[in-house]
Amino acid sequence: MLNTSQLFPFLISGLAFGAVYAMSGTGLLVLYRTTGVLNFAFGAIGAMGANITWHLIEKTEWCPDWLAYVACVVVSAALTLLYGVVFAPRFANRDPLGKMLGTLAFALILLGLMFNLWRSQDARGFRLPTGTRRFEIFDARVTWTQVVAVLFALLVVGGVTIFLRATKIGTAMRAIANDREISSLLGVPVRRVETAAWLGSGVLCGIVGLLLVDLFGSLDMVLMTWFVIPSLAPVLIGQMRYLWVTFFAAFVIGVVEAELNASNWGWPSQYRKTTAYVFAVGALLWFARKRTIMISGRATR
Amino acid sequence: MTTVDAHSALAGEPVSTVPSRFGRRSITQAAIAAAVFLIAMFVLPALTSTFWVKNFTSAAILSIVAGATGLLYGRVGLVSLGQIALYGVGTWVTMRLGFATDWPYPVLVLIAGVITAVIGVLLGLPALRLQGLYLALVTLMAAAAFLVILADTKFPTGGPGFKGLVVEVTNSDSMRRPDVAETDFGFYRYVLVVAVIMFGLALAHLVSKPGRAWASIRHSEAAALATGVNTTTYKLWAWGLASFMTGIAGGLLAAHVRSPSTFTFGVEQNIILMAVVVMGGVATLWGGVVAGLLVAVLPELLQKWGFSSEWSLILFGTGLFANLLITSWQLDKAGIKE
Repeated sequence: MLNTSQLFPFLISGLAFGAVYAMSGTGLLVLYRTTGVLNFAFGAIGAMGANITWHLIEKTEWCPDWLAYVACVVVSAALTLLYGVVFAPRFANRDPLGKMLGTLAFALILLGLMFNLWRSQDARGFRLPTGTRRFEIFDARVTWTQVVAVLFALLVVGGVTIFLRATKIGTAMRAIANDREISSLLGVPVRRVETAAWLGSGVLCGIVGLLLVDLFGSLDMVLMTWFVIPSLAPVLIGQMRYLWVTFFAAFVIGVVEAELNASNWGWPSQYRKTTAYVFAVGALLWFARKRTIMISGRATR
Repeated sequence: MTTVDAHSALAGEPVSTVPSRFGRRSITQAAIAAAVFLIAMFVLPALTSTFWVKNFTSAAILSIVAGATGLLYGRVGLVSLGQIALYGVGTWVTMRLGFATDWPYPVLVLIAGVITAVIGVLLGLPALRLQGLYLALVTLMAAAAFLVILADTKFPTGGPGFKGLVVEVTNSDSMRRPDVAETDFGFYRYVLVVAVIMFGLALAHLVSKPGRAWASIRHSEAAALATGVNTTTYKLWAWGLASFMTGIAGGLLAAHVRSPSTFTFGVEQNIILMAVVVMGGVATLWGGVVAGLLVAVLPELLQKWGFSSEWSLILFGTGLFANLLITSWQLDKAGIKE
């Protein structure tokens, strides 16, 4: 039998990864609702930013660490914005799947570039200043990165909620999410609002990239690139619509995944990695239990 | 040409009309296919080394998987990002049966195809309530989950129990090949023949009743239902056929590489496969052949020319991007929105 003290360290780890899922989910969801693009390059962009941070820290002498961390966020935001402003409008007449394939292409290009610029076999990684400082709760070691991740996730989701309700551009985002064409006819500056959504999502890419390197303990570009797949699980559970459902689902997935890592469950610990997929597939099939046909990305019954 | 037809044609997708069986175009295409097959069968092995023959074997096997994925996407409108997982199922079943029995290799491959088809249909049954982006995501998630399971079970090596693993693997613990195709050259020809049979099977479906039903489902499921097409049956049929073809390809892979690695079936492989399938084109079965060549041969060619094989990722991404840009531009020009 497992006792609480055995489960607690996994709970901490699970909350931290849940927070990263929540931040990724928020970035993916807000962008999808505003632009209709499910950004599969989210992880690749964050990985590219993290690689640049590593390069600045390890391969240059002039760059202070804090500037390297900022560079991760700036590069991620710039890459996301580049895609959103230059390429995404070219796919405006495609259905959501076509738009997603565009981001998949971008992810493959970025992954290929990363492989060529920084060989995958090099052991790489960096620690955030919060990653080396620890404290103990109930015999469990907690790093400040884990605390920061959870607080940041709360801040992001809370901030986005307020932003969407209280600001002019947030209201415009909600209007576009509701009906893009009518919003455009009513004078909502669709392109400007979309640009804001791409920028916000890009900033989150960078933050997630930094946190993941610290939480994983290494910079694995393949793992980070495809981290977008489990990150989509809470978004799907939130029916690609509900921000707070996405947020809580992210934490549930993170915690369940981590707790399954506790070896005494009589279940191979590596099966814990299926948690996000099982939750997502289960949720999708549950939502589709009544006949639903998707036409141009809109569900009709 | 109706709006829907124009839209499909511009998007590089099939139009609703199914080509007649014995039209002039069909005869020309059959002649080209026969010529390509004969060159691949007899000329190519004479001109290349064992290394390239092995790569062309991989290309032929992957072209079956790509053809199945393209058939689902291009002909029925079903997007599967989990085809590589089913490919793994076919490989695993063939190896498990291959070590456990003395059954002839073709029987093993056939059983692997049937079991993969059954698993594909069982997975597809609930997933068929979903379409487009959601179906793509659910299949990708299922494939990711499968990879985790595969990483635990691994591929059989001749041991006892369900997993069939032995502690110390030796060279003799690799999958056997058919007696008529023990050598790499022989097996290459064997794979080519099976690939032609698989493409023939797909073509036979496309020019008959299922092909017409799939075309109508692809353009409008509601309209297909209204005209009396049993959409569930025909979608499952397509799913089953694609899974069967993929399972057969998995069986061929088992004897080709003999000791497969789980890395072959990584989640990213599903995405790369979809990229090359779109690049190769989903309007015809030739797209599958092009996709197979791109995945299996291009990375090796790049290495031969002094580039790292990872450049292929950039090329696949750029190719997919270019394809989407061109088709979007064509749709825009015609004033069509998906």
